[in-house]
Amino acid sequence: MPNPRKPEKETITICAYCGVGCGFKAETIGDEIVRMTPWKEGKANHGHSCVKGRFAYDYWCHPDRIKTPMIRDSIEEPWQEVSWDEAFAYAASELKRIQAKYGRSSVGGVSSSRCTNEEIFLTTKLVRAVFGNNNIDNCARICHSPTQFGLSATVGAGAASQHFDSILQADVIMVVGANPTEAHPVFGSMMKRRIRQGAKLIVIDPRRTETVDSPHCRADVHLALRPGTNVAILNSIAHVIVRENRHDEEFIKSRCEWQEFEHWAELVGSEEYSPDKIGPIADVDPEDIRRAARIYSTGPRSTIYYGLGVTEHSQGSTGVMCLGNLGLACGMFGREGVGVNPLRGQGNVQGGSCLGSWPHVFSGYRFVTDDATRKTFEAAWGVELDSEPGLRLPNMFDAALTGHFKGMYIMGEDPVQSDPNQTHVIAAFRKMECVILHDLFLNETSKYAHVFLPGSSSLEKDGTFTSAERRIGRVRQVVKPVAGYQDWEVTVKLMNAMGYDVQYAHAGEVLDELARLTPAYSGASFELIDRVGSVQWPVNEAAPEGTEVLHTEQFPRANGLGTFMLTAFVPTRERVSDQYPLLLTTGRILSQYNVGTQTRRTANSQWHPEDVLEMSLGDMQTRGLREGDRVTITSRFGSTQLKVVESVRVNPGVIYTTFHHAETKANVVTSDLSDWATNCPEYKVTAVDVTKVTSPERQRAESSVTRPAQQERETEEIAVAEEART
Amino acid sequence: MTDDEQPAVAGPVIDLEQLISMANQIGDFYAPYPPERAREGMRNHLRTNWDPRMRNALLEHIDTGGDGLDTRVIDAVQLLREKAADKSGYYGPPQA
Repeated sequence: MPNPRKPEKETITICAYCGVGCGFKAETIGDEIVRMTPWKEGKANHGHSCVKGRFAYDYWCHPDRIKTPMIRDSIEEPWQEVSWDEAFAYAASELKRIQAKYGRSSVGGVSSSRCTNEEIFLTTKLVRAVFGNNNIDNCARICHSPTQFGLSATVGAGAASQHFDSILQADVIMVVGANPTEAHPVFGSMMKRRIRQGAKLIVIDPRRTETVDSPHCRADVHLALRPGTNVAILNSIAHVIVRENRHDEEFIKSRCEWQEFEHWAELVGSEEYSPDKIGPIADVDPEDIRRAARIYSTGPRSTIYYGLGVTEHSQGSTGVMCLGNLGLACGMFGREGVGVNPLRGQGNVQGGSCLGSWPHVFSGYRFVTDDATRKTFEAAWGVELDSEPGLRLPNMFDAALTGHFKGMYIMGEDPVQSDPNQTHVIAAFRKMECVILHDLFLNETSKYAHVFLPGSSSLEKDGTFTSAERRIGRVRQVVKPVAGYQDWEVTVKLMNAMGYDVQYAHAGEVLDELARLTPAYSGASFELIDRVGSVQWPVNEAAPEGTEVLHTEQFPRANGLGTFMLTAFVPTRERVSDQYPLLLTTGRILSQYNVGTQTRRTANSQWHPEDVLEMSLGDMQTRGLREGDRVTITSRFGSTQLKVVESVRVNPGVIYTTFHHAETKANVVTSDLSDWATNCPEYKVTAVDVTKVTSPERQRAESSVTRPAQQERETEEIAVAEEART
Repeated sequence: MTDDEQPAVAGPVIDLEQLISMANQIGDFYAPYPPERAREGMRNHLRTNWDPRMRNALLEHIDTGGDGLDTRVIDAVQLLREKAADKSGYYGPPQA
């Protein structure tokens, strides 16, 4: 084996995949990245990494990267390459034309959690100050918007209460609707370390995930609940705690609103939520509910980590509130080893949330309807701002179908592939007159776009990310932007083309502006992060180097007290029937990332070349299916085809797939039901039926699938790249 | 959209059936609260989270009978008409 070439330069930056936010050293020779090595000083990863951050970075120089802006008058026409200036001028004139014809509220924007805080903040500025409305959303709408809502309601801050290292002081770890060993691997390893040291593990998840049972990781209690019954189960756990007097009265009386606790205790303490009542509804042994409640409340330090298995339901926000309620009732806030912590799927979901990329709040979760807050932004931005909430991402699509919404700026998103009920989303895009897509690659959404602005990957730009533990770290430019501009520069140029004059010398000036306007970020700056490595918000005068654990003395609510929300169980309207007897739920795998735009363009694809459908042996036998058969999955919304495999991880009646490949078309099947509070889609519960693909159908399906050839090409390219590196 | 801007396109901004379904879901959440608090919880939620065009479409639907909306939802949505009673938005338990 030849010696590796000696890198000329190392740049410290952050991995852009999951919400753990591992620090990496990017090693380069000239403009070529030769290696990514985990950074030992990284405060989230302490020198560890997973197979995505370590190896899956070659997408940045993949031949599919688009390097020249493109425009077209209609989506039926071919793309036409143009200069940057022409692209900006065209986009700006189209947006203005649409607003003049259909009204100021007929356009909007969406930002991405793969972009930096600075880029997200500028996208909110583009929409609020330049478009003149509040039709701004971010992709957390479809993953963690219920976290913002549910945790704000109970503990006053829509963010993790702890830093990741805090888990090393936990006695009890409760994981709800998350699979950290696959989706947040570096944090998952830390969790395993604590379990080896003796911490107890409770897992609430319909699937026997790797977190339930794998080397170094075995759940003491696993509640393999029926998808859609989170709130019932969590209320039932609360029932046991309240009925057996296991709550922490002293904590509640000193730190919480006691009256609201009493209302809550009455609701969850009612017979309706007894384990004997809820067990059969959720397909769980009532005794296991009691065991989980007793272990969690005994602690003495119990912590909760949760993921999209809680949020992506019609009661997503209620589920998050249940977790807040539980933590408060047992006094599990405000010290090391406790807390309630969302595991974020993408590198900067937390930043997207914090920085006001929502139609109803400015940065720092302050309502657009609040005059005092709005005035500070009006003073800083020099324009009058809209005082009414705007449209959420799914509402933008709904409003496109009624002719009210006509134009959209999309920063680093692929809604056609990632949003629910694909047929509906495509119909909405077809009715828009100007879709501006700002991305690395052509994707499913680009088929319906009129302007394509080439994006820059996180390796090509400067800025900051905020990880799932509220940690603000520096994204540093490793190589020059492939298409000439960093993403934040593109957004600024679009603002300029629309007639709004603003300039920034570098991304640090954008951070300075957002820090001036966002109390929890007020002390953040490139200078501070360069000096101390990274900081957790709140970072301000009282905490000049940030804050590891939240809620130590009071909760950030008007009266400083935590509170309890009434969380009645309301079953989803998505139910199984004779026609659709199975429940489909979805998740992720270690080697791939979300819709796969990046990881599928790297050698990581060899670990997971296709998505498959997991099914219990019994369900396969009743349908006459054998391992490897191609099956059609049909819901009320659409159908798709996958290969079926037998799995002991799912209970009878429940089937499971990942969604890393576009041709899986998982979102053709998913429903348009959504969370009552935030419209976060109910991805985790869809009633379906599964049938074997008959031979003629199979031939058709195979002839239309292009993936294997493409896969081969990608693998070849990767081999070439590997060779070039060594 | 401010008051001076008239919608350039006629009809509800979002399909009415969907708005009704969303509003009823919100009603279901606040149902365990005493009626007065439940109404205020819904009002605050719609006021701070919904685009005014969505709220107006719901109000117009109520003017023509409010078919499909739960009674408790209709009562709460009516509170949106009293602009003078507008409070600043909040998270947390409904305040009566």
